Amino acid sequence: MAALIRRKPEPGRDEIPPGTLYLLVLKTLATRGRLHGYEIAESIQSCSEDVLQIEEGSLYPALQRMLLKGWVTAEWGVTAGNRRARYYTLTRDGRKQLGIEVQQFERVMGAITRILQTA
Amino acid sequence: MSLAGEFKRRLDVLFHRDRFQRELEEEMRLHKDLRRQQQLAAGLSDEAARRAANRRFGNATLLREKSSTAWGWDGLTSFSQDAAYGLRSMWRTPAITIVALISLALGIGANTAIFSFLDAVMLRSLPVKEPQQLVKLGVEDWDGITDSFACTELYSYPFYRQLQSKNEVFSDTAAIMSLLNTVHGFVDDHQQSEKLQVQTISGTYFQMLGVGAQVGRVLNQADDSGDGEHPVVVLSDGFWKRRFGADRGILNHTVRLGPVQYKIVGVAAPEFFGTAVGQAPDMWAPLSMGQLIPPNWVHPKENFSESLYILGRLKPGVTMQQAEANINVLFPQIIRSFPDARLTQANLDHLAHAHVQLQSMERGMADLRRNESKPLKILMTIVALVLLIACANIANLLLARSTARARELAVRQALGARRSRIIRQLLTESLILALTGGALGIAFAAMAKRVLLRMISDGPDVMPLDVSLNLRLLAFTFAITVCTALLFGTLPALRATRMQLTDSLKSNRGPSFAARTPLAKCLVVTQVALSLVLMVGACLFLRTLVNLANVNPGFNKENVLRLNIDSDITGYKDDDPRLKAIFHEIEDRVSTLPGVQAASFSSFVFREGTWNSGIRAQGMPVDHKVNVQHNIVGNGFFNVMGIPLVAGRNFGPQDTKTSQPVAIISEKMARKLFPPGSPIGRTYLIGDEDGAEPPLQLQVIGVVKDVLAGNLKKPAGYIDYMPYTQRSWGFGDFEVRYTGDFSAISNSVQQTIHAVDPRLPISDVKTLEQQVARAYSGEAMIAELSAFFALVAVFLACIGLYGLMSYLVGRRTGEIGIRMALGADRARVGWQVMREISLLVVLGIVIGLPVTFLGMRSFQAMLFGLKGTDPFSLSAATALLLAAGLAAGYLPARRAANVNPMVALRDE
Repeated sequence: MAALIRRKPEPGRDEIPPGTLYLLVLKTLATRGRLHGYEIAESIQSCSEDVLQIEEGSLYPALQRMLLKGWVTAEWGVTAGNRRARYYTLTRDGRKQLGIEVQQFERVMGAITRILQTA
Repeated sequence: MSLAGEFKRRLDVLFHRDRFQRELEEEMRLHKDLRRQQQLAAGLSDEAARRAANRRFGNATLLREKSSTAWGWDGLTSFSQDAAYGLRSMWRTPAITIVALISLALGIGANTAIFSFLDAVMLRSLPVKEPQQLVKLGVEDWDGITDSFACTELYSYPFYRQLQSKNEVFSDTAAIMSLLNTVHGFVDDHQQSEKLQVQTISGTYFQMLGVGAQVGRVLNQADDSGDGEHPVVVLSDGFWKRRFGADRGILNHTVRLGPVQYKIVGVAAPEFFGTAVGQAPDMWAPLSMGQLIPPNWVHPKENFSESLYILGRLKPGVTMQQAEANINVLFPQIIRSFPDARLTQANLDHLAHAHVQLQSMERGMADLRRNESKPLKILMTIVALVLLIACANIANLLLARSTARARELAVRQALGARRSRIIRQLLTESLILALTGGALGIAFAAMAKRVLLRMISDGPDVMPLDVSLNLRLLAFTFAITVCTALLFGTLPALRATRMQLTDSLKSNRGPSFAARTPLAKCLVVTQVALSLVLMVGACLFLRTLVNLANVNPGFNKENVLRLNIDSDITGYKDDDPRLKAIFHEIEDRVSTLPGVQAASFSSFVFREGTWNSGIRAQGMPVDHKVNVQHNIVGNGFFNVMGIPLVAGRNFGPQDTKTSQPVAIISEKMARKLFPPGSPIGRTYLIGDEDGAEPPLQLQVIGVVKDVLAGNLKKPAGYIDYMPYTQRSWGFGDFEVRYTGDFSAISNSVQQTIHAVDPRLPISDVKTLEQQVARAYSGEAMIAELSAFFALVAVFLACIGLYGLMSYLVGRRTGEIGIRMALGADRARVGWQVMREISLLVVLGIVIGLPVTFLGMRSFQAMLFGLKGTDPFSLSAATALLLAAGLAAGYLPARRAANVNPMVALRDE
């Protein structure tokens, strides 16, 4: 006996556009300050009113890369539930990088918007 | 800032990998836990909440891997994994590993050792300021003193001064005595004399080389002025450390050389050893003192006492050709300007044709290079071949091992491992093997270097040559190690990964053997061919050595003790009767010792340099090309040496200071330089009639057999002998003919000498045979080392053969079993295996022979008394190799013959 299982995507949720994960993380840290990984994921989802869905685990390689690049720093702290967690904070380099990423995003979005409008 | 900062953080990750891994792990766990709690709070069941948390998190393993990729040390990590795996697999096959490591250690070690000598002798620049600008006048590297007219190799002190002021091509000029003064001097006011090597130099020497002092100062121009007015010396770093324990208060010490006490004014820079590779003076003294430093060689005022090398530093932009042109304009000008220049027609002709050649001094004086570069090149070739053989051997072993691992590799490829990844892993394993072998090789080289240094040292002291480990050497060793790894690792790796996957998975015996053996057989044949080259070479060099040892030097070298006495220490002049009285007394008292037959002084015995000049015999035309070697001897010399008197009489008590000067001449001199008939009673002149000293007239009183004076490869030259009662000479050599035990005689002779005069320093006590053997120490070194390496090569080739044949027999057990079951007899089966081995060996020999012929042609100059195609050597090498090969094949053949058909077939 074989069963065919087709999994439908949950309605109303979109994968984030590729390459924008850094932007989202940087922006989140810029507005909310000191956060741990779970809070970053939650913040991105709630800010986008649950439209943007990230594969939550992929945050962590990205955060490692950002740590190496020096955009964020991390320190260990304690959560409200009294568990050890790594909290990330934006650095000056990170803030600069955020500016660059936003500009780049707006340029791309602007171009796409213009194409859509002429159509 | 960001790049450096990023690199620092990356390094941090590399060194604290575990902590980073742990922290990441903890962070991810927290995330999942929080998500699960959130889902639980939303009302999901425990299990569903966990699953949802996992799903939303994604593939944790993949993410972990992505994170470590982000850290950027992937390559290194997989390398260290491969390395660890390689170490384990080396451990699992200890026999292969040990054989491989030994052959690598030998191969790499020998290469490193020989290269360190090549580097020190031929490649390394002098440790001075911009050595490439340094040049030397003259290319022959003679050393000595001559009064010949306008010598273009050695120069007088006045000539050096003239050249220094007149030349337009050198920014600095220096002169250096061509001979190193070996003086028995005294440190401070010690009573015990010490052997000191003193190099006399011009005051410009250190300044020109740009060498400074680590303590005090170096010599300067002021030290090299006046005549004997500046008794100062600068010590070498080596002597300072060895003799004074690097005492900082060294400037309070003095040394006494001959009659004068010298103040130590400094210690030269640590890396500076002088300008001749293989020589290390203990101290430098100014040439202005040269006349007072025993044996009083330098005469700074004489225009034609030529004994110096002249060095120059080219001005910027001046080429060697321009410099040579300028020097050759100045050379005749300066020579002619000397008021005592003997401008005869012959001398003017000579001057018109004289040409001074310049040579680069970048790597120092070339004496050692000239003598040792050929042997070193031969040895380098030999050890390179040995390393190649070792590589072929290891490649074969790895081939065999990779066959055993075929299934493992096949499984991995079937599971999706890329071929490049597996090749990389196999090469990493080879590299680990090679690096371990290389490390062992460096240790082996350290031992080998001591032996080699001893072998090339031409005297009682070990040659001061820096062959210690340096960066260039390490780079060389590392390079050959990596090359060997690639050489022996690549083929098996490619071979192992190119396979029919299904085949090797199906059969439990790995890939079909037929696909593998041609390569393995090629490797074995190559090994045999290379071994043949080395074997023939070794035979030729051994035969050369035997031929040299059997050369008859014209004297009886057996049962003669010889030693050196430094008579300068007495302070007597050469013609002082008190000195001659000492000589007589020593000769007389030693001659009467029990076990001693005769004893005599002489100025030379064998291969100690010469004093030579032209002669004019009564009734013969003058031939300027003729050079006669003179030897001043005691009356017992011919008895001690066993040189037969052919005609006339020996020296006797009738030959005194005041009687007619007499000489005994060699047979060849009598035959060629005198008119036909007996030369006894005839007279001849030594020295030019227009020479610096009045010519000496000698009467011939006897003729002796020809002897060789130092070169066993050349026929005897013209030699004459004069008694020391009539000529002044400060002696060096003392010879004693004895019977019985060498060390007993040696002790009693030395005691007797010290009983006559306790001050006399005695050195270099050995047999005349040893002295003669020094003439072929280079050939002996090549013969011994080439024989050793040839044996190593043959041994490796035998291991290769044995390994291959055992493997073949093992693979064919089934087939052999069937054949035996069908009635083949054991002898036949064994014979078949032997035939296969013989085929491989013969093939290797057939390929090796032409290679040998070609190779030996370039080494002809190193052979003596035979040709590179010497049939005896060829057949001996071939026979030895065949025998060794068959011996290696005997065991596998016997195993094949002993196969039990029942067992073999059951296995199948």
